Amino acid sequence: MWKKRVAVVLMVCLAAVCLMVKARTAGAADKPFVFGLLLVGPYNDHGWSQAHYDAGQYIEKKLPGTKMIYIDKVNPADRQGVTIPQLVDDLAEKGARLIIANSDDMKDGVLEAAKLHPEIHFLHITGDDVLTKKATKNISNLMAKMEYGKMMAGFTAAMTTKTGKIGYLGPLINEETRRLAAACFLGARYAWENVLKRDPKELSFQVTWIGFWFNIPGVTADPTQVCQNFYNTGHDVIISGLDTTEAVVVAKQKKQEGKAVWAIPYVYVGACEGASDVCLGVPYYNWGPGFLEFIKASKAGAWKSKWVWLDPDWKNINDPDTSSVGFWPGPALSKEAKAALDGFIKDLGDKKVNLFKGPLSYQDGSVFLKAGEVATDSQIWYMKQLLKGMIGQSSAK
Amino acid sequence: MASDPGARMAVELIDIHKEYGPLKANQGISICFAPGYIHGILGENGAGKSTLMKVLAGFTPKTRGLIRIDGSNTEYQTPAEVSRLGIGMLYQEPVDFPVLSVLENFMIGQTRGFWLNRMATQKRFESLCLHLEFSLPPETPVQKLTTGERQQLEIIRLLSLGANVLILDEPTTGISSFQKETLFQALKALAKEGKTLILVSHKLEDIERLCDRVSVLRKGRVTGEMERPFDTETLLKMMFGSVPSPLKPSQTAAGAPLLNMENVSATGDRAGLRGCSVVIREKEVVALAGLEGSGQGVFLRLAAGLKVPTSGAIRLQGEPMAGKDCIAYQNKGVTFLPTSRLEEGLITGLTISEHFALKASHGFRVRWNDAEQQAQARIEQFRIKGKPGMPVESLSGGNQQRLLLSFLPDAPSLLLLEKPTRGLDLESTLWVWEHLYHYREKKTAIVFSSSELEEILMVADRILVFFNGGVIRDIKTAQTDVHDLGRAIAGKA
Amino acid sequence: MIWAGPSPGRPDDQASESKSMIQRHWKAFGLSLAGVLGFTTAILVLAGAPPLEAYYHLLKGSLGSLNKTGAVLTAWIPLTLCAVGLLYTFRIGLWNIGVEGQMIMGAIFATAVLRWGVESRVPLLYLAAAFPAAALGGGLWAIGAGILKTKGEVHEIFAGLGLNFVAQGILLYLIFGPWKRPGVASMSGTEVFPTDLRLSFLPGLRFSPAGLILAVIALLLTAWMFRHSRFGLVLKAAGSNPIATLLFGERPNRYMLLAMLLAGGFAGIAGCVQVSGVYHRLIPSISSNYGYLALLVVMLSNYNVFVVPVVAFFFTCLNVGSIQLPMMLRIDSSLAGVIQGAWVLVALAAIAWHRRKVRPEKEH
Repeated sequence: MWKKRVAVVLMVCLAAVCLMVKARTAGAADKPFVFGLLLVGPYNDHGWSQAHYDAGQYIEKKLPGTKMIYIDKVNPADRQGVTIPQLVDDLAEKGARLIIANSDDMKDGVLEAAKLHPEIHFLHITGDDVLTKKATKNISNLMAKMEYGKMMAGFTAAMTTKTGKIGYLGPLINEETRRLAAACFLGARYAWENVLKRDPKELSFQVTWIGFWFNIPGVTADPTQVCQNFYNTGHDVIISGLDTTEAVVVAKQKKQEGKAVWAIPYVYVGACEGASDVCLGVPYYNWGPGFLEFIKASKAGAWKSKWVWLDPDWKNINDPDTSSVGFWPGPALSKEAKAALDGFIKDLGDKKVNLFKGPLSYQDGSVFLKAGEVATDSQIWYMKQLLKGMIGQSSAK
Repeated sequence: MASDPGARMAVELIDIHKEYGPLKANQGISICFAPGYIHGILGENGAGKSTLMKVLAGFTPKTRGLIRIDGSNTEYQTPAEVSRLGIGMLYQEPVDFPVLSVLENFMIGQTRGFWLNRMATQKRFESLCLHLEFSLPPETPVQKLTTGERQQLEIIRLLSLGANVLILDEPTTGISSFQKETLFQALKALAKEGKTLILVSHKLEDIERLCDRVSVLRKGRVTGEMERPFDTETLLKMMFGSVPSPLKPSQTAAGAPLLNMENVSATGDRAGLRGCSVVIREKEVVALAGLEGSGQGVFLRLAAGLKVPTSGAIRLQGEPMAGKDCIAYQNKGVTFLPTSRLEEGLITGLTISEHFALKASHGFRVRWNDAEQQAQARIEQFRIKGKPGMPVESLSGGNQQRLLLSFLPDAPSLLLLEKPTRGLDLESTLWVWEHLYHYREKKTAIVFSSSELEEILMVADRILVFFNGGVIRDIKTAQTDVHDLGRAIAGKA
Repeated sequence: MIWAGPSPGRPDDQASESKSMIQRHWKAFGLSLAGVLGFTTAILVLAGAPPLEAYYHLLKGSLGSLNKTGAVLTAWIPLTLCAVGLLYTFRIGLWNIGVEGQMIMGAIFATAVLRWGVESRVPLLYLAAAFPAAALGGGLWAIGAGILKTKGEVHEIFAGLGLNFVAQGILLYLIFGPWKRPGVASMSGTEVFPTDLRLSFLPGLRFSPAGLILAVIALLLTAWMFRHSRFGLVLKAAGSNPIATLLFGERPNRYMLLAMLLAGGFAGIAGCVQVSGVYHRLIPSISSNYGYLALLVVMLSNYNVFVVPVVAFFFTCLNVGSIQLPMMLRIDSSLAGVIQGAWVLVALAAIAWHRRKVRPEKEH
């Protein structure tokens, strides 16, 4: 008896819900171009994922007739039991014709999903499947040359440090994170040697990895703890390589305790907000221009599978419509340092300075670039170790 | 809070009835407790003493009857009300807070305000201790005290709360003889001051030594009252009733030794078992007599392999059983039927058929048809009111007992039965024993415990009397009678 | 009535009660459901989301298409496997909270076998071997808790929780250490297995038929065991009354170990499904918390093997469907977590209430 009654009541409820919602959603306007976003973190993380989310909104504004749908926190810790192909299925059902996946972690899932959905275009951020020829024709890779941003961050850090000790808060270890850490180091060493005219041996550049792009309690090392350690062991500037803002938060605490410390966050243009007394600036991504190009192509039926590594717009690295990489100077940056930094940026833009130029050695002493040799994109992209002079792990033990 | 110290309070119970469903625990009990007297309530286990005291202390509502305090009718619902009236009850297991100190325990319930006046309380505590010659360390946590000391603490706590009537439920269980002496002196002193003291006990000796007056309960009724000096014979008759002389059980000669216990000790129950040396022979019917918890249960569980002795040796058919478990005992033909049917004997949630399936031969697959047929057959044979598909907990107590008996194997070597006829009427009891007697033809020895002297005298060849964890008598049935046995059970061996 | 001693009488009117058990069970189920829906609606309203639309998206997001149903089934398979294993331990009265760790160990053992199978010419062999290996891994881990319980008298909840932590530790160590991707040190997981070491999908359907068959077999086998095997009977007996079971000639401790072994085995297989059928690699959160969820599923199912798959299906539908909330209604996705937490609490409260009603104070 009960079974039946419960079943009947449930069915009636379901039917009612379906009918009412059907009535509401019927009669939508003509179809917009829908693109989907798979964000590894929360859409409002003030970091990596928000940068992509903001770029999606930028596209909606810039290209009328487009519509963004997104799923955030796409990682197995937050969304248990959910896989990339399942989410792609879902976005496809909602009409997505291009899907942007914003994490290196989604690489395998994107390859799998792309095979299941040949009709959909995939833009995998940070990936290299096009380079390695693993990608199907509907996959493209997009990345921005953050190395420049990181050089500026390193430059700024070296100009500011009083103790000559810079800490680099690293995420996990792979080619991307190695080359970004190395770029930081090169920028710092350049400032130390060429601007401040000091002995490079007096500059310490320590890298500590936590194991992932953001803190997963119990799984990664605790970034807050790592920052505390940095500041407690004489490092006075931390450059963060994480998607999240722990470095700035800890720096603020230390500052309130009366210590002269600074931090340089990463990824998101607004990362300095609320930390005016410690934030030296932030190297950030601006995905708008990159997205725009791919979405325009997809919309116009001119999609081509390619691997794209975008430069900053050297005319104005902070131009939201043209520059994919920027460095937003922070309020704690001193006037002298700012002036030096502007000069440095100009030199980089004019190709007067190229920091990826030999002689450079890997950490174990093997040659990365011979004297006078200028690194190719591929050499930088596939950086195998940290550079000589940096302290920290090059790969997993 | 209560009246001034030294106030005299008379408590009168008039025609008290207490019924738990069909069970009549108290059937029209009238007793008058006068101030300045130590009044004993004597009776064996289940006579209704504890129920009566629970009614008096407000722990359970009476079904019918009147309670009069100082001549006026009084109705109350909760122990708190009773305590405000000036009646305090000392339980067998002291009610206290083990991790708090003695003084903190004493303070609980003393002050009404938020702030504890430690100094004043301590003074009061010390003066009370001095008065009653108790020596209690105020700062020691209560969990480190002995039972006797906890009892002393509880007494002064009740007194300081203003108790004029003190009820003590079996206060001499589990305390040393020195503490008993101290307690008795204190109680006498309190009586002299005009307090009303009620001592509940099944120990004749305690009652005779301490009380001024005693009421004897049996099966929920008052069977007699007596003032000092007491006559032991009369009291025993009141306690156990006068019964016809024993029916004579079979006189078959016992066979070879089956179970040997040599100086076996074990923990458990209230008293545990101490230095027990007993031989059980084939074909014997041995009764374990004694008050509840005097060691019979421990003895049976040791013999069944359910308990491990702390010292001593057990041999079955000559083979040492040290380190063997219950199943090894079973393989030697030992079968145990516990008294708590649903706690130990039967499995709640399983039907009668499922029990037979469990009992049945091994093999991976259960033969449900066979189990059901067997269940049906045994239900008829044992006159169980129930169906194979009924869960055992839905059977009445008597039918559960019959079901347990129906599980007995065909030819056990040793049958251990804990109160096998508990809760059965006379007819059923006779039927059970008729059934059990068949086993003697198969050389089976039967060891059973019982709280019914009549039953013991009727069916047993030999009787072991347990008192406070020891076997104080080992006697042939033919050489004893109900009075002799009654004295032994009460500790007068 | 000479010997009629006082027997603490039990009311004899319980026979009629068992009849209405089924009704009561459905009542409890309906009650939890109503509680869950009510609570969810309240949260949605508080968050400013239209509840009806939210429910519509939940439903459509879980059963609205073949692909969605496939996703639900993909999650249903490991959850059901875990729950089936727990039926054995619950039946003998054990709280096998260590099921998470057992699942993790299963996943680790499976990964170890699959790693050997990479580049092998007979990948199917390794894939097939991964399942018994995973069952062994989970089983051994469970036996650990079982031995601590039966020999060391450590409560299985504490033993299980402890072993969960140890298993998680081993898992992280392997991912970050010996089984890391070449040149990479990341908590994101091990190298992905090649296609021929994965549980394959049927074309057009997004779940693994092999996994589904496995889960169904596990359910049927368990149902048969509980109904027709002596093993199932003794489990029930020992769970209800270990002393009586001993007197009936069976050692409850042995059955406890056996039940743990089976529960661990099924959890291990669930772990293997996660590795070979869902993630295709080992990741830190390989268990997806299905172990804890399965405990809840089994309790909500009133330990009934036929209700377990239904409740598990309900839970996975809610889990899979809830992704629609942030996507379609722009509800902050952390709200989905709040809602899920509320489900658990409401369900537990309903169960507690149900218990009190069904068993009016037993101890006295």
